[in-house]
Amino acid sequence: MLTSPTGAPIVTKAMLVLFAILFTYPLWAKYVGLYDYLGIEIAIFALYALGFNLLLGYTGLPSFGHGAYFGVGAYGYSMAMVELGTSPLVGLLLAILAGAVSAGLVALFLSHRRGIYFALMTIAFGQIFWFLSIKLRWLTGGEDGYLNVLRPVVELGSLKIDFGSNVTVYYFAAVLLALMVMLLWRVVHSPFGTALQAIRMNEVRARSAGYNVWLVKWTVFTLSGAVAGLAGGLLALTQESAYPNVMSLHASGFVVMMTLLGGGFVSFWGPVVGAALFILARDILGAATEAWLLWYGLLFIVVMLFEPEGAVGAWRRLAGLFVRPARREASPKVVP
Amino acid sequence: MGMVSSLLPHLINGLALGLLFALIALGFTLIVSVMEVINLAHGSLFALGAYIAMVIISPDLVMLGAAGELYGDLPLAVRYVIALVLAPLVIAVIGFGLEILLRRTYGKKKEYGLLLTFGAALVFEEAIRLVWGPAERVLPVPPGITGGFIFNGMIYSNYRIYAMVFGAAAIGVVWLFLNRTPYGAIIKAGAHDDEMVRALGINLPRLRMLVFGFGAALAAVAGIILTPIWGLRPHVGVDATIPAFLIIVLGGIGSFWGAVFAGLLVGLVVGITGAYASDWSILSMYILLIVVLTFRSRGLLGKKTALEL
Amino acid sequence: MPKHTLAAASLLSLAAVMTASVALAQDAKPIIIGITSDASGQYANSGAEDRRGMQMAIDEFNAKGGVLGRPIETVFVDTETTPATGSRVAERMITRDGAAFLIGAVSSGVANAVSQVAQKYGVIYLNTNSSSPTESGKDCHLTKFVWDGNGTNFAIATTKAAIEEMGKDWLLITNDYGWGHDTSAANRKLAEANGATIIKEILVPQGTRDFTSVLIDLQTVNPDVVAAAVGGDDLKALRTQVADLNMGEQFGWINNQQDWADVYGLPKTNLFGVFGTTWYYKLDLPGVADFVAKYQAAYPDTQMKVPGNVFFNGYWATRSLLEAVERAGTTNNHAVIKELEQLRIPAAVRMQDDDAYMNPKTHQMQQTVYLATANLASDDPDDLFKILGHSTPDAVVDAGAEAACKLESFEDTPVYEP
Repeated sequence: MLTSPTGAPIVTKAMLVLFAILFTYPLWAKYVGLYDYLGIEIAIFALYALGFNLLLGYTGLPSFGHGAYFGVGAYGYSMAMVELGTSPLVGLLLAILAGAVSAGLVALFLSHRRGIYFALMTIAFGQIFWFLSIKLRWLTGGEDGYLNVLRPVVELGSLKIDFGSNVTVYYFAAVLLALMVMLLWRVVHSPFGTALQAIRMNEVRARSAGYNVWLVKWTVFTLSGAVAGLAGGLLALTQESAYPNVMSLHASGFVVMMTLLGGGFVSFWGPVVGAALFILARDILGAATEAWLLWYGLLFIVVMLFEPEGAVGAWRRLAGLFVRPARREASPKVVP
Repeated sequence: MGMVSSLLPHLINGLALGLLFALIALGFTLIVSVMEVINLAHGSLFALGAYIAMVIISPDLVMLGAAGELYGDLPLAVRYVIALVLAPLVIAVIGFGLEILLRRTYGKKKEYGLLLTFGAALVFEEAIRLVWGPAERVLPVPPGITGGFIFNGMIYSNYRIYAMVFGAAAIGVVWLFLNRTPYGAIIKAGAHDDEMVRALGINLPRLRMLVFGFGAALAAVAGIILTPIWGLRPHVGVDATIPAFLIIVLGGIGSFWGAVFAGLLVGLVVGITGAYASDWSILSMYILLIVVLTFRSRGLLGKKTALEL
Repeated sequence: MPKHTLAAASLLSLAAVMTASVALAQDAKPIIIGITSDASGQYANSGAEDRRGMQMAIDEFNAKGGVLGRPIETVFVDTETTPATGSRVAERMITRDGAAFLIGAVSSGVANAVSQVAQKYGVIYLNTNSSSPTESGKDCHLTKFVWDGNGTNFAIATTKAAIEEMGKDWLLITNDYGWGHDTSAANRKLAEANGATIIKEILVPQGTRDFTSVLIDLQTVNPDVVAAAVGGDDLKALRTQVADLNMGEQFGWINNQQDWADVYGLPKTNLFGVFGTTWYYKLDLPGVADFVAKYQAAYPDTQMKVPGNVFFNGYWATRSLLEAVERAGTTNNHAVIKELEQLRIPAAVRMQDDDAYMNPKTHQMQQTVYLATANLASDDPDDLFKILGHSTPDAVVDAGAEAACKLESFEDTPVYEP
């Protein structure tokens, strides 16, 4: 994991490359067989995975039930729009809040654990959220989904923004992604980010160095839940509905896979790359064969075996860039 | 009196269910407690074992020609026993392969091994779906163990008794292996200090491979025993992996009897909620886990292991 | 040098010839049908049967030169029994592939996801096989048409017979999700209206594999009739376990609709009790035998040797759509929707006992519902059902649907003419 304890610029070269690709996508997508909706999904899952990686890659806490907070965010947005008739920004704020509150509650049970016990508890809570979202049909619509969350038309003075257009939603998602990228970059390069990595390397040592490990873990879990909630809310906006399926173990497993395949263990950008790879593979391979998940699973195994640092790791190796090695044993300067 | 007599069958059911859960968790427990590897492909080995048994019991006789005809004439009970022996052996070999793949991840972060087996689980399940299709299949079972018998005015299933007995026997065999043979002790020691074990002249890698194969074979056996009642379809592996994972953590990682005890407890909880709050019967095991882990942080009988890191 | 020139020249002429032939063939712009169907997940098998039905209808039209002189092409992506995938697949097919129509559904969540996208663009979407009553109720859309009977239709068909024949003490087994609750509610209402008493309702979560506690309760309560609103894989497990203990004979069992794809290849003893279906391959009606023969000729290698209700619904949905486009003379969605709303298919053509017709207020096809049970008299492994009787479409109407369904207006639905 790469951070400089002394801080980092607000916008880096890598960010600029990402923004260039991101903001021009609708112009060239169709020439390579892609389409706007796919771009929206990539942006949503990149966001989801970035928040998720705070937990997995930076703090070393494996959550296999993160779909719960994504799903709660989706329902939160949907209910805000349909029941309260708010604007999409307020709806998304409520989605963030919903994700944060549910993650925060769960984190009360988890923040003193790690490793396998942590992982299984996240699964158990994930299953509980999933089960409730199907059972509480009067609230969520059950397996039929929470529907008719129509795309809004927002008026800002004389400007009218019609979210009915996929291009509009895409740019909205892209802006949110860009903002969150910059925000999360600051977070991981802050003392908080250092604390996360210290905990990942050795929790006991981090505690004796003076970190309030429980609080840090609780905060990062809640924060990643908030980001997941935002991503979920965005999906509900795009899809005009919310469903329980995103909370299933299967779906929660996908965000783990995409984060890792992209190189979440060694790079801030791993999750973004991984999300793009996963969504693209699913779309392109899925149209070509019914067995796309088989190929993806095989790819995943090969990567775990030979390139656990994922796509970004492989890229670095290939590009021969000088980069601070991924898992160097010397601990970073721990800033108390 | 009426309350007790209506509770009793549910209690018996809960215990029976518990033994079945313990059987499912057995192979998983073995690999975890002895090799400290979480094998998320456990469920798909469970499924694959059942599918292969199905093929052994009722193969495509046309393809096998004259030998096939002779084989097809054998009574179902004979073919069933052959499948019960042969299919786990086939899965054991697949287990060997999986362990060889996993070797690269030993010594690295625990997540890599776990995730590799997660990938393997996906691949196995998809492969099953491609080979045998998504339709529900039947694993034939000899007529002697089907049907029901009446006891105290209620019908009970013969097959469940058979499955319970089988489960108890399997638990006994694994316990014997771990505690009455030198292999169990050697591998446990190897998990913590493999230099020392190798210094004693023992071929640890080969032993590890055999244990993994044994665990895989146990998964297959559980599959053969359970899929006749719970159904046989590609996704059935997930029905096994999640309870197995839950049970070993509930019982405490590193504890064999913890896993057995946890299996029984989960069965009882699911069985009793099935009686009185049936809509919560599946969720009850997750709530049980959360409650137990909140108050006993290493599960019921857990020991400290490398898996916590 | 000369060699290179020769090679270049041949390549160029080859390219020219190919372009010319392609250009000649492309004078009629094809109609693209997007198939949104599950190939993985719980409904994969039904999805496969559904697609065979759609494909046969499409092949029939292509053999006649297509629709309005335009050849029909299909594009299919697995919707993975996952609604978010359904949304993406629908968007992909419409915005990227230029799909004219979308066809296919088994899971109601996926159907809702797809139909919201379809309605947004004005694309007509055929829900071929999702039997959730909400599809033609609160979740109806102007561009959506439903071709299967729903849980309420089948409840009406199965409960009336049961009360007369089997008794008045009823027990309900309800799968704890939307369809299960809707179906059990329908069962309850009908049973009570006809003088039966619901002694107990047992809720069973989705994903239940072990039904022993339910079976213990059954023996303790000892009802006359057990009405099971259990679906998918759970129903398969229930049937296996009940059959194993011979409890299928002990009570009067009613299941709701039994999809052919879910029972084909499984032992007949699992098929106890009474259930509903929209069609059976051995109905003694004109056209049925030829239809089955056509299926077998088209799909000789498939595991399913004879077609069932899922295939039937997929076929008729697709054929009806294409015929409506022909009658309308255009692919303009408003015109085709108006044609479909007036749809009426005579019994003899439809291969059912009664004429089938589209309800213009709910967009659900009204059709004959057959009552069936296991055919234990036959040794033929395909001949699974014994048809006990049938109900006319009017007798099994879902009375609540018209009130619950609020179709969008034509003004609010974009015009789409692919």
